[in-house]
Amino acid sequence: MNKLKVLFVAMAAMVCSALAQTDSTALAQTDSATVAAPVSVQTDSAKAPQDYAFEHFYAYIEGGEIYPWGDLQDAVENTMYGGIGIRYSYWKNADGFMSFNYSYFKPVPSTKIDGVHQFSGKVGLDFRIKYIKPVVVGAGFACNFTRADMQDGVDISFENDLGGTLADNETEFGWFFRVRLPLFSYNKFNVGFNAQWEELWTLPKRSDMLTMGLYIEREIW
Amino acid sequence: MKKIILPFLTAALMSSVFVCTAFAEVDAEIEGMEYEVRGDGTFLIGGPTFGFDRIMGAGGTFSESELWTPAKLRDRLLFNRMSGTPSWTPMAPAVWFKTGNELGDLIYQNLLPSDEPNPANRTPYLEGGFTTPAFKGFWATARYFQDDHFCGRTAGPRKQMVGESFAHFGENIPLFSTLYGGLGYTNSLVNASLLVGDEYLWTYTATSRWIPVHYSPRIEARADVKNVSVTLAYEDGEYKNVAKKEHGTRQEVNGSVYYKRGEACKKGMLQVAAGLAFRAVDDSGMVYTELEEDRVFWPFIELRAQPIPRLTADVMFGINERDWLVQDSIQFTSPTPKKMGIVAGVKNISGTRLNPLADTKEFMDDHEINLVADGQMTLIQGYAVFNDTLGNMNIGGRGSYWAEYGAETFDVEGYVDGSLTYRYGNVSRIDSWIKGVTGEIWFNAWYQDIFKFNAIAGFERLDGLTKKLEVTPAEYFVAFGGDWLINKTFRIAHSIKYRSDARWNLRSPDPMVVKGDWYWDVTFEERIPKYGIVFSGTLLHALANEVIEVPNSGYDRFRLVCTAKKTF
Repeated sequence: MNKLKVLFVAMAAMVCSALAQTDSTALAQTDSATVAAPVSVQTDSAKAPQDYAFEHFYAYIEGGEIYPWGDLQDAVENTMYGGIGIRYSYWKNADGFMSFNYSYFKPVPSTKIDGVHQFSGKVGLDFRIKYIKPVVVGAGFACNFTRADMQDGVDISFENDLGGTLADNETEFGWFFRVRLPLFSYNKFNVGFNAQWEELWTLPKRSDMLTMGLYIEREIW
Repeated sequence: MKKIILPFLTAALMSSVFVCTAFAEVDAEIEGMEYEVRGDGTFLIGGPTFGFDRIMGAGGTFSESELWTPAKLRDRLLFNRMSGTPSWTPMAPAVWFKTGNELGDLIYQNLLPSDEPNPANRTPYLEGGFTTPAFKGFWATARYFQDDHFCGRTAGPRKQMVGESFAHFGENIPLFSTLYGGLGYTNSLVNASLLVGDEYLWTYTATSRWIPVHYSPRIEARADVKNVSVTLAYEDGEYKNVAKKEHGTRQEVNGSVYYKRGEACKKGMLQVAAGLAFRAVDDSGMVYTELEEDRVFWPFIELRAQPIPRLTADVMFGINERDWLVQDSIQFTSPTPKKMGIVAGVKNISGTRLNPLADTKEFMDDHEINLVADGQMTLIQGYAVFNDTLGNMNIGGRGSYWAEYGAETFDVEGYVDGSLTYRYGNVSRIDSWIKGVTGEIWFNAWYQDIFKFNAIAGFERLDGLTKKLEVTPAEYFVAFGGDWLINKTFRIAHSIKYRSDARWNLRSPDPMVVKGDWYWDVTFEERIPKYGIVFSGTLLHALANEVIEVPNSGYDRFRLVCTAKKTF
């Protein structure tokens, strides 16, 4: 939990520093490769909205830590994640993105399963809002596929055992909100900080998680 | 001439477009289930292969899919319904992937100790496929799709029948699972295709049973040459009930030949179209239903007469040695100022069966259920539609009065209780008039192509022996829709609607009431037209309580379906 607080403070500090920079002249010069604004920039105001699509295309890798939130802290432990994604210009001030990442959750209570494999696919839009530049905010849908990791021959009941439903493949959708803070750029590479709030539409309660991590992105075109 | 035609076109467009598109913007989870996002009637879903879909303004006591029409020639005949699901219509050139889920699985919540039993498993939707662009006219396609929604509650009893996995993927015992592939040829004169596949399917019958059939193979060929459409399907179906040690096979050939009105014909005063639909079966063992004489041929003709531009008369008439069915209407467009439309009309549906191609008997244990009632039914409806457009707004209304004599019902002789409740008896008729009066009013507003808003409300009052109806429909509804197209590339479409109580009268000893409820549907669609790419997500039936809408069926749950598609 302490680690979580530290990360929160770190994130808050970075967001504040980013907000503080929005008035700086350095960030206004977005063409400079040394400036922390690794986002696609368009200047042609006569362009039709649909013409921005795929004008720029990026691929990225990301990794970090996932923190279960609320009651979910009693279900699974914090865990690491890693994945890949793409981002593409969509509108003048918005990018589309898709990501796919993997994580392995260890249960907190004693159960017959050793852990849970989770594959998460996400689709959404990032918005560049000038008042909070260079921070980018985004949202979208998540589709999480899970399957229990367990020893062969373990007798587990779907109805009664803790984690019994995970012995079969389970899929659940949800939504997420994310904040991205570009840290620096070098040539075609961008590095930044990623924070994400995710809610899966599970029963009997929704499952909330906070994700903090870094991404390294390369501009493809 | 232009002055005469314009009001007619305006009225026709308004009455059809504005009413219909009020609910057409939200995507259905699969083609053929468009009724699940409509709000202007009683739409009760038993699953992707069965729904009671009655549009309030259509009048009559039956649902839309029970009525055979030439427009449904390429729909699937599932027991006595023409169903758009599962569709074997080849998709346009594209590659696509689609997935969905009934929301509410436990996932990590299942690792929290609880005194409550685990909630029932939620089930997914899965689909993937492609259709290639034409190469010298030739193209190829393949599609796998199965809808596991609505299947959880009845999976147990149904699994006892099939005894094993009954789908191409997974163990949820979905109500259909289809896999096909094939080739096609398209040029300016011909559009032809041949598909071969394997399909698991459950049909809902008069006894309230779900009957499983495994088609292996199912082959469907289609050809459209100028104004002639030909369809031919071969189905090798296997039926079984492992628990009762019953087994049977049905080899079936079905199809149609249809001559549609050509462009030149459409300009004439008298327009003619005609066709022939047919089925032939070869049954062996227990297949649970029977088609009398193992065959049915259904010739039909359509006539449209337009003696003056404001007056249109349509007739569809079909007849064979067992049945006849006529559907006709006369519609008059009143002279009105520009942008206003008033239409009045009368329609009639009469016949011995609503679907003359359907099976004639059903068998359950020792019971033989006659699916053909003696006599005939007659529905008469008179209606008037008013529409007026004022700038960016449109208002309109529709009123109708209908009366049906000889409506089909089911004379229940008894029920079989178990984990599910079945019934036996015979299809019969209500030998008296059922009458109804309907009223609808709507309002639309729009701003360019960016925003559209629509609202519609309707009521219906029935009079007669309504307790003998299979379904007593909802008395009133109200629906609101809002659609945005942002930057011409991002579409948000949503509707929120309320339907009052509906009631199944004859499927259980006590009528089953489907309580009225609010439903919210929404589609988010990201379009990249330059590259033909579309990503979409649709939330269906949010807000509503999770209830059973059809006896012996699964819960209508809040569900999400996502699609990624690249068109060529």
